[in-house]
Amino acid sequence: MRTLSEQEFKEIQRSIFHKEISSAEVLAEIYDHYVSHLQEFPESEFGSQLFELEQKFTYGYCHAIQAKFNKSVREDISKTQWRVLKSYFCTSRWIYAAGILAVIFYVATQTKSQQEIGILLLSPLILLTSMYVIFNWRVAQKIRPIKNTFKEIGIPITSSVYRPISERLYLPVVLAQVLIYFPRLFSFDLDLGSLLPGIAAVITSLLTLYMLSLLEVWKIKSKTALL
Amino acid sequence: MSSNALIKGSLQTIILKLLEENEKMYGYEITQKVKELTAGEIKITEGALYPALHKLEAEGFLTTEIQQVDNRVRKYYSLTKDGQKEVSSKLAELQSFVESMQRIINPGLKPDLGF
Repeated sequence: MRTLSEQEFKEIQRSIFHKEISSAEVLAEIYDHYVSHLQEFPESEFGSQLFELEQKFTYGYCHAIQAKFNKSVREDISKTQWRVLKSYFCTSRWIYAAGILAVIFYVATQTKSQQEIGILLLSPLILLTSMYVIFNWRVAQKIRPIKNTFKEIGIPITSSVYRPISERLYLPVVLAQVLIYFPRLFSFDLDLGSLLPGIAAVITSLLTLYMLSLLEVWKIKSKTALL
Repeated sequence: MSSNALIKGSLQTIILKLLEENEKMYGYEITQKVKELTAGEIKITEGALYPALHKLEAEGFLTTEIQQVDNRVRKYYSLTKDGQKEVSSKLAELQSFVESMQRIINPGLKPDLGF
């Protein structure tokens, strides 16, 4: 095994640029395969071996791998979140979930005005938004080395796991906005009166469990992906 | 060199078996290990390897670990608990298949292949 020269690294990167891979995980795996393979051969065979690799890792093949990987990651995130959510009720962790729900329901019964109910409802959304900001910052940090290696690629590179998690992070915030603005748009005047604290408690509980499960998914996936 | 079609059918078993013996491996290492163990008789093509690895990962048989190696990121694969159980099941399946094939090819022979 030999150490490749700067020029050889550049050639490898250039040949991978043309594949236009946007998944940081797939890109890193292919790049590592190229480098590991080419390190096994003397300098004189570099060109022919690189050409051979190019015949194996064609544009179509790389995009097929990426598409399948992205699809499986999306399914995996859904499954993992569902598994985590179920664990709050099925395993010994139910005490933890019951504790959170009890606190939320207690706070809801203590609210005296619509403003206080609004604050109760907003609290998990604010936490989700904060999580979204931290999540983006963490992903940017993790993929910075790959982005720097492939800065000339011309397309945005990000972790395959980024999109499914970030969508889940901002979806409740978008839905909350729709729920607030939709009735106003059609001048609906909903008077829920005494039901309001109960409804707020249910929505806040669901949002809190959703947020906690997502936080756990992020923690699990950060070990296996660039998050 | 062995036929690619024959290897394709047992690729997942090969990967699982190698990962059972080696704690963690990366893609290129798997191709090299197979080449080494079979004295170049079996060559795993990259075209089949990565989709198989990703499929096993999606099915929960493999878990991955990202590590920084010489200014680049390397993805290591290792067996999950489900993967460890799957190895024996896949090996038994392959053994039974090989025995059946032996009975077809050599009807008089009583195969006793151990994995």
